[in-house]
Amino acid sequence: MFSEMPKENDATVKMYFREAIIRALREEMRDDPNIVLLGQDIGAFGGSYREFDGLYGEFGPRRVRDMPVAEAAMVGVGVGAAAAGHRSVVSITYMDFLMLGFDPLINYAAKLRYKTGGQLNAPVVVKTTAGARGQGVAHSQCLEAWLMSVPGLKVVAPSTPADAYGLLKAALRETGPVVYVDHKRLFPIPGDVPIAEGITRIGHAAIRRVGVDLTITTHSFMTRVALEAAELLAAENISAEVIDLRSLAPLDMDTVTASVRRTGILLTLEEGQMTCGVGAEVATRVRERLGPAGSALRTGRLGALPVPVSSNPVLEAACLPGAHRVAAAARALFVGAAAEVLADTSTTHLWSTS
Amino acid sequence: MIYQISVPGLVADVEEIRVLEWHGCIGHEFDAGDLIVELETHKALVEVRAGQRGILRQILVEEGNWQKIGFPLCLMTDTAGEPLPDSVESAGDLLVAFEIT
Amino acid sequence: MSPSNHAAAIGALRTMMLIRAFEATLARRRDHGFQLLSAGEEAVAVGLCGVLADDDQLLTSGRSIAPALARGLEPARVMAELLGKATGFNKGKGGRGHLAAPQNGFFGAHAVVGGNISIAAGVALSRQLAAAPGIVAVLFGDGACGAGALHESLNIAAIWKLPLLFVCNNNQLSVATPRTAALAPKLLSDLAHAFGVPSRTVDGMDLSEVACAAGEAVAGIRAGQGPAFIECISERFGSHSTTARETRSQVDLRALRSRCPIARYDASLRAAGLLDDARFQELEEEVTTIIARAVDFAEASKTPDATEVLTDVL
Repeated sequence: MFSEMPKENDATVKMYFREAIIRALREEMRDDPNIVLLGQDIGAFGGSYREFDGLYGEFGPRRVRDMPVAEAAMVGVGVGAAAAGHRSVVSITYMDFLMLGFDPLINYAAKLRYKTGGQLNAPVVVKTTAGARGQGVAHSQCLEAWLMSVPGLKVVAPSTPADAYGLLKAALRETGPVVYVDHKRLFPIPGDVPIAEGITRIGHAAIRRVGVDLTITTHSFMTRVALEAAELLAAENISAEVIDLRSLAPLDMDTVTASVRRTGILLTLEEGQMTCGVGAEVATRVRERLGPAGSALRTGRLGALPVPVSSNPVLEAACLPGAHRVAAAARALFVGAAAEVLADTSTTHLWSTS
Repeated sequence: MIYQISVPGLVADVEEIRVLEWHGCIGHEFDAGDLIVELETHKALVEVRAGQRGILRQILVEEGNWQKIGFPLCLMTDTAGEPLPDSVESAGDLLVAFEIT
Repeated sequence: MSPSNHAAAIGALRTMMLIRAFEATLARRRDHGFQLLSAGEEAVAVGLCGVLADDDQLLTSGRSIAPALARGLEPARVMAELLGKATGFNKGKGGRGHLAAPQNGFFGAHAVVGGNISIAAGVALSRQLAAAPGIVAVLFGDGACGAGALHESLNIAAIWKLPLLFVCNNNQLSVATPRTAALAPKLLSDLAHAFGVPSRTVDGMDLSEVACAAGEAVAGIRAGQGPAFIECISERFGSHSTTARETRSQVDLRALRSRCPIARYDASLRAAGLLDDARFQELEEEVTTIIARAVDFAEASKTPDATEVLTDVL
């Protein structure tokens, strides 16, 4: 077990996001002969992001199984196999298509332990890639907020290769269903991963940048955007603390609340929709925890505009939060602007597009 | 003349690559069309081939190490005896062709 | 082939009688809850379960009481579950729609129409990977036959030669919709042909025919031939559920009773010299006793503590 942020003296190796995924799967599959992978083009092809490269060669078609384009059956088969003793990883290449598998995932897997009074459970990891990068309205969505409220379901979202590795290993040791959400734009970005085997515990956020003036909570690719924004803010002497949630269900409200107690200002950031989004939940829970002591708390939320995400680069950029827009929102909160300003899309002229 | 080979701007979003294999040691003379080095992006292999003749004089990024797009990988010269500069700023870019597989 | 020995044949009749009387007892209660009953369809569940072995697994739709009893689940604990008691198989937390006893070969019911079919394919995959003995059977109605889940699962089962038996209990009505108004194929067993899965349509009101077809299908699956599909055409005596309105006329319903599978099997056993009035009387008394004990057990059992609302979530 290693702690969430590798210590200075922990030996690390730099690798691509996909290599971290492969490493986690390889280690767990070597350890547990009952783990199977189900997905489209994950066998000899190695996955659309090459995120399963080499696993077919090592474990063969018995354990790395290509399936037809049938997400409902993919999830159902993975869930049923898991319930019957074969822990499965179901790869759903685009999160937009996870909706097709919502029935077995939400109506069966998430409820299995409860509905059977503890007789059965479904240790399945549904791994899916979210996010927008020029692929259009049905290949760009970030839907993790929809899943956070499902009782019986855990949801995690790594933003670094280290957590891609650590959270996937952790997910593969859970006894119930986990949705593991990575992001298209994280795949090109390498990062340091501890050499020693270990997991990233689910339910623990990571402070990516320490700051004193405001707290930005975020997850997945937006963590990188938040860090860029924090650099812009630092140039104006605004010190932003950036918290990478990593775990959306369960949320690490201890870390978030402790930070907000220090800064008094919370900006939540996500690539998905703000309405009923991750940020809405985080901000509400912070307020609940602070109680009357939080009466001076200023919160704002930033996410995609309430529009489908077009493949058109101009429109996609206008829709999604970028570093400048995040910095503008943080600045506005810091100087005391009303939180409502940020959520009001008619005021997007306040944000620059990038 | 002194040239550098910088990591070519490849596909969108690629910020950093890893050097997979150098196809020649220090002193090797590459002809136009020769494979100089293979690079690895998150998804693909990139073959960097010489667009002109040059002699490999200094490898700046060893195999297995990383380099950002636009930053130098190695130094090359027209002739074997040319002294190397103290810094790479004075080097022009070597003409290269690259192929992504 | 009807149940291959006399005891099994009598046992099958008794199980059908048990199901009929159990459900009738349940339905008479004020606290019967939301139930899907199987009066008229008993031969399907009993014929199928008669050929399943201890290490096989059965998954069903929400019409679970008949298959659960046919599979041999203790009637007392079934009744307890249906009445929401903590002594039920699911601690009272699942009810009829999710009744489960995997240790007894009843992997479970699931109340979403067609929702258990791909799950069953997954269970079958696990069996295949483990090279474990035992096959998987999934029971669903005509209502599930329009669902993509069935077709996707047939496809996967065929491609991977999963040890899976698809049993469609076609009672010809999906709540109010006649099956011919909803589904294009001439026979529902035709659905399996597209995937190269061997299939048959049988008279679901005839226990012997169901048992024979199921037996043959199961033998093929056990021999590693891959999945099979059986359509059992049946008729339900009651409406779709205890809250659903009846769509058929009183005249038709009365006529339907003359096609009772229990009466039919009873007649066939008598004709074969395996049953007489005295033996029948014994069976009735056994069934009555079992049900009375089940009701007593369930009534004496406690409901779950309210704190159970928070357990078994994660």
